[in-house]
Amino acid sequence: MKNIALGQYYPAKSPIHRLDPRIKVILAILYIICATFLGKNIVSFGLLLVSALALIVMGRIPLRTVLRGIVPVLFVMAFAALFQVFGRSGEMLIFEWRFIHIYGEGLFAALFMIIRIFALIVGTSMFLTYTTTPIELTDAIEDLLSPLKKLKVPVHDFAMMMTLALRFIPTLVEETEKIMTAQKARGADFSSGSLVKRAKALIPVLIPLIVSAIRHAVELAVAMECRCYHGDGKRTRMTVRRCRVWDFVALVIMIAFGAALVYFNILGIGYSL
Amino acid sequence: MAEISLREVSFRHGKGTPYEICALDKITLDIAPGVITGIIGHTGSGKSTLVELFNGILKPAEGRVLIDGEDIWAKPKEIRKVRFRVGLVMQYPESQLFEETIRQDIAFGPKNMGLSDKEIERRVVEAARFVGLDEELLEKSPFDLSGGQKRRAAIAGIIAMRPDVLVLDEPAAGLDPVGRESIFANIVEYKEKTGSTVVIVSHSMEDMARYCDRVVVMSGGKMIMNGSRDEVFSQSASLEGAGLDIPQITKLMTLLRDRGIDVDQSIYTSEKAYEEIMKLFAKKG
Repeated sequence: MKNIALGQYYPAKSPIHRLDPRIKVILAILYIICATFLGKNIVSFGLLLVSALALIVMGRIPLRTVLRGIVPVLFVMAFAALFQVFGRSGEMLIFEWRFIHIYGEGLFAALFMIIRIFALIVGTSMFLTYTTTPIELTDAIEDLLSPLKKLKVPVHDFAMMMTLALRFIPTLVEETEKIMTAQKARGADFSSGSLVKRAKALIPVLIPLIVSAIRHAVELAVAMECRCYHGDGKRTRMTVRRCRVWDFVALVIMIAFGAALVYFNILGIGYSL
Repeated sequence: MAEISLREVSFRHGKGTPYEICALDKITLDIAPGVITGIIGHTGSGKSTLVELFNGILKPAEGRVLIDGEDIWAKPKEIRKVRFRVGLVMQYPESQLFEETIRQDIAFGPKNMGLSDKEIERRVVEAARFVGLDEELLEKSPFDLSGGQKRRAAIAGIIAMRPDVLVLDEPAAGLDPVGRESIFANIVEYKEKTGSTVVIVSHSMEDMARYCDRVVVMSGGKMIMNGSRDEVFSQSASLEGAGLDIPQITKLMTLLRDRGIDVDQSIYTSEKAYEEIMKLFAKKG
C-alpha cells in the first residue's frame, strides 16, 4: 500500500528544484508542445532525446527512479511502436512475408513515437512531479489561473480543495491499512476467492473508511471556520514567490530549444516524417 | 488456554527500501497462559508491532512465533485459523465498526469462522454481556453509540470469536477515568470467567500496576524486562531509563528513601503504600 505512486516528490538540491513552481508549470507546458508538435525529423527527435536526458541529469534524480516511473507506460509505448511498424507503408520496403510488410518509414516512425512518449513523460515528471511538491504545484496553478478570477471563476477555492485532497491522501492510506488489519484480525479474507467475493470482502473496509473521511472533513471544516477562514477574502501568502534571474534564463532556454527544433525541421536534414 | 512463544523474532518495517527500520530485535518471550500480561513501552518501542506478530498479521523477518509449540507460519495458508485463536483488538478499534447494527457487527468474526446461526447468536449475546453492553443496544447502528459504547462493541467483536488468547492494544486510550476503569474491570472479569490468556498493551504504568500479573518492558525494539509485576516494579531506575513513567506512588516511596526513611521501594499501589507508612508510624509509636 505504501508504494502508491502519488506525489513522487524526490527531495534534492538541483537547478530544477530551485526554479519557481509557476515557471516550472509554464516550462512543462512548453516542453509538452515541443515534444508533441515540433518533432519532425531525425535531428529534431535526436535533440528531444538529448534534452530529456539532460533534464534527468540536471534534476539530480537517480536514473533508476525515473525509469521506474516509465515502466507503467511501457505497454503503451510498445503498442504505439508496433502499430507504426506494421501499419505504416512507404517506399523503403525492408521485410515482406505474406501479408506482413515492414517499411523503413514504419521503423523510423516507431522510433520517433518511443522518443516522443519518453520525452513527454520525462518532461512532465522532471518539471512537475519529481522536483515540485504537490503544495507548490497547487499554489502555482492558483497563481497562473488567477486572471480567471476576473471572470468570477472560484480559482482559490479549487486550489484549496486540491491542496486539501492532496494533504489527506497519506492519512487515508494509513487509515485503510489500519482498518484492513483490524478486519483481518476478525478473519476477513481479502486475497482469495472469486472477484465478486473479493469485492464483497472490501465492504468492511470501505464503510469505515468513508465514515472516517467524512468525519475528517467535518472536523477540518469546523477548525477552518474557527479561524475565520473565508475563501473569497483578500488573502495573503505565507511565502511570497518572486521570479529570479535564473527563472527567466530557464524560460529563454526553453524558447530557444523550441526555436531550434523548428529550425532543424525547416532545414530538413535526414529522414523526416 | 494457549501459550504464545517467540523465539529470536526480528521484524523490520519497510524492508528493501531506504527507510528500513528494525522494529524488533531478536525477541525471545513466553506469554504465560491464564494470566494477564502487560506489554509496556514508550511510543515507537515496538509494542504494537510485537502484538501484530502474535496473530500473524505481520510475518517475522527472522525467528519463529509458536502457539502451544507449533510454528504459526508452518502453513501460511491457514493463518486465518491463528487469528481466531489469538484475538487482537487494535488501537481505537471503534474505527472497524461497519455493519448496520451492533449485533451484526459483533457477528462478523464468528461468521468468518463459519459457525451456525444459532451458535453465532449465542456468542454475540455472551460477548455483549462480557463487555457490559445492554441487549437493547444490539439493534442500534454503531454510529448512534457513544465513544465508550463503540469501544465496547468493537472489543465484543473479538471476544465473540472465543479466542484462547485475547490481545488488547491500548484498550482504554482516549476514555475518561470512569470508562477506563470499567473497561479494565470487564477485561479482568472476562479472564476470571473464561480462564483465557490476556495481553494488554499500554504505556500507562498505573494501569499495568493495577491489572497485570506479569509485565514485559519494551524499549527501542528490544525487550529489556520480563517478569512478575513485583520484579519489574522494583527496578524503578531501569524503568525510568527506558523513558517510562513509574507509578506516582512508587515515586513517592523513592523520594522517602532518598530522605533517609526506610521504606520498600517496590510498592506500586496506594493500598500497600498506606500499609507501609502505617507500619512506620506504628514503629515510632
